[in-house]
Amino acid sequence: VRGLARGLFASVVLLSVGAGGTGCRAAQAEDTGDTLIVGAYSAPREAFEEAVIPAFRAAWRRQTGRDIVVRASYLGSGAQARAITQGFEADVAVLALDSDLDKLVKASLVAPDWRARTGGTGLMARSLVVIAVRSGNPKGIADWADLGRPGIEVLTPNPRTSGGAMWNLLAVYGAASGDLKSKSAAVARVVDNVIVMDKAARESLVSFERGIGDAAITYEQEVHVARRAGRRYDYVVPPVTAVIDVPMATVDRYADAHGRRAAAEAFVAFLRSRQGQALLRDFGFRPATGPLELPGDARFLAAGHPFTAADFGGWKKIAPELFAPVTGTITRVLEATREDHEASR
Amino acid sequence: VKAARPTAGALSLRVVAVGFLGVMVALPLCAVVGSVLTGPGGVGAALHALGSRTARAALWLTVWTAVVVALVNAVMGTLTAWVLARYRFFGKAILNAVIDLPFAIPTLVTGLMLVVLYGPQQVIGQVLAAHGLRLLFAPAGIILSLLFVTFPFVVRAVEPVLMDIDVDQEEAATTLGSSPLRTFFQVVLPALRPAVLTATLLTFTRALGEFGSVVVVAGNIPRRTLTAPVYVFGAIESGEPAAASAMSLLLVAVSAGLILAVDRYTRARARAIGVRV
Repeated sequence: VRGLARGLFASVVLLSVGAGGTGCRAAQAEDTGDTLIVGAYSAPREAFEEAVIPAFRAAWRRQTGRDIVVRASYLGSGAQARAITQGFEADVAVLALDSDLDKLVKASLVAPDWRARTGGTGLMARSLVVIAVRSGNPKGIADWADLGRPGIEVLTPNPRTSGGAMWNLLAVYGAASGDLKSKSAAVARVVDNVIVMDKAARESLVSFERGIGDAAITYEQEVHVARRAGRRYDYVVPPVTAVIDVPMATVDRYADAHGRRAAAEAFVAFLRSRQGQALLRDFGFRPATGPLELPGDARFLAAGHPFTAADFGGWKKIAPELFAPVTGTITRVLEATREDHEASR
Repeated sequence: VKAARPTAGALSLRVVAVGFLGVMVALPLCAVVGSVLTGPGGVGAALHALGSRTARAALWLTVWTAVVVALVNAVMGTLTAWVLARYRFFGKAILNAVIDLPFAIPTLVTGLMLVVLYGPQQVIGQVLAAHGLRLLFAPAGIILSLLFVTFPFVVRAVEPVLMDIDVDQEEAATTLGSSPLRTFFQVVLPALRPAVLTATLLTFTRALGEFGSVVVVAGNIPRRTLTAPVYVFGAIESGEPAAASAMSLLLVAVSAGLILAVDRYTRARARAIGVRV
């Protein structure tokens, strides 16, 4: 009983630490002086907390002679966008999908020219949709089609609750050749092998780390973060996959209301700077601009021939066409059973 | 208690109790109903959302697993209560404390415990996998987590009633030559029936709404392992308030309908045997 109690206590502590992390986290102590609030999706948490925010504070002190407190909140991209539109007054937003940032534009929180103001593309960084596999790749998984082989167990989060999951399925869809029907069939074969759809990308990878499944569709960047934390497994970059764009913007209305425009713009500029990009790369992000391939960096695999969301008309077109409730092409694949898929083959 | 004219004090007590119930329970329920009626598309959109195959499958999965869990816990809970009330044994105090734990543990932790226990990194999980059995990410996992979460209901409802029943009756039955089984079914069970019934119902309704543990162990695949509460969560997260409200309201309605039905039944029975309720 004592062992059980200790185990329970440990789980409770673990959970509360995890939960505490998702809320607003004060990076530093004193509240006087400058403050900046960042509303981010969940993947950059380690990069921000361990590297970017401390370095930005140092840079801010060098430039202005003042201290700055950066508070960052991390949620799933959709949930964070909703929190900001519903009154979480973040000065800077870093999200996983353009369409989530567009929600802030629609709510008149971010000025429509946000891309132009952030290097023309509005990106903080990029990543790739990859397949995490067990060490040594025992099942010989190299491409999306391998995930559809009989008996392969696949993890990917639920696209209804996770922006990352939408990228994952877009990668499978976009990499398949042929017309809409054969693309849907390719997604269906993978979806039929999915055994768990967790709520969010990070949870899905945690399930994989617990030993569940043969492969997990995830971001390259998430695998790098897991490796930094000492977890060992491999990943493969399929020959054709999706480039994940990570958009960011100053939340103009809140930043102006708080009188923090200068700090917000400095934070965005810092992320785009050589130093900021190098720190992000340490945590597995590929650069916001320039070539995706990083041949001089042994930590990164070859990127192959990836496509972008823009190749499919951007998220404004992809979200309704592929992921709309009931009618979306991928939604329909997800909501059909294995038997339906077999019947339509 | 005679129904005399209530004093000012008794009257204000009633106002406080009813007011509290109204604000804490009835008001949120009204909000769900209101959101269905006034949501985009109104009742039509809500009905349409519920008509989808995914929604129907989710509801069916939730209902049948909850029924299984309610029945299993009705039997096992009564048995456990019987053991606790009638026997003394080593470790009884610990058992007694452990029974209430499911209420004290966050349900998310329950899910995690099951995933760790039956997952591929533990002996049990490996043995199961070697025999081709899958408990996690299948309806079996849902049932396991619901059994855990709802276990205390029946035990805690039945135990005090058993303690109240005079052991003399059972002894008399035994003396008159009744077998232990017959004694249980003809002497003890009739007295327990209202408590067992109410607690089984509570178990069912609680199982119907369970989210925290199920979302971790179920797998959440539409039309395979997606339950109604997880469906509601997905609908909220993907900006489909009509579907979320409609399914929520349906779950509330099923629970409320059952509770009212059983309440009527127990009152009718109580009247039949001459007890005033």
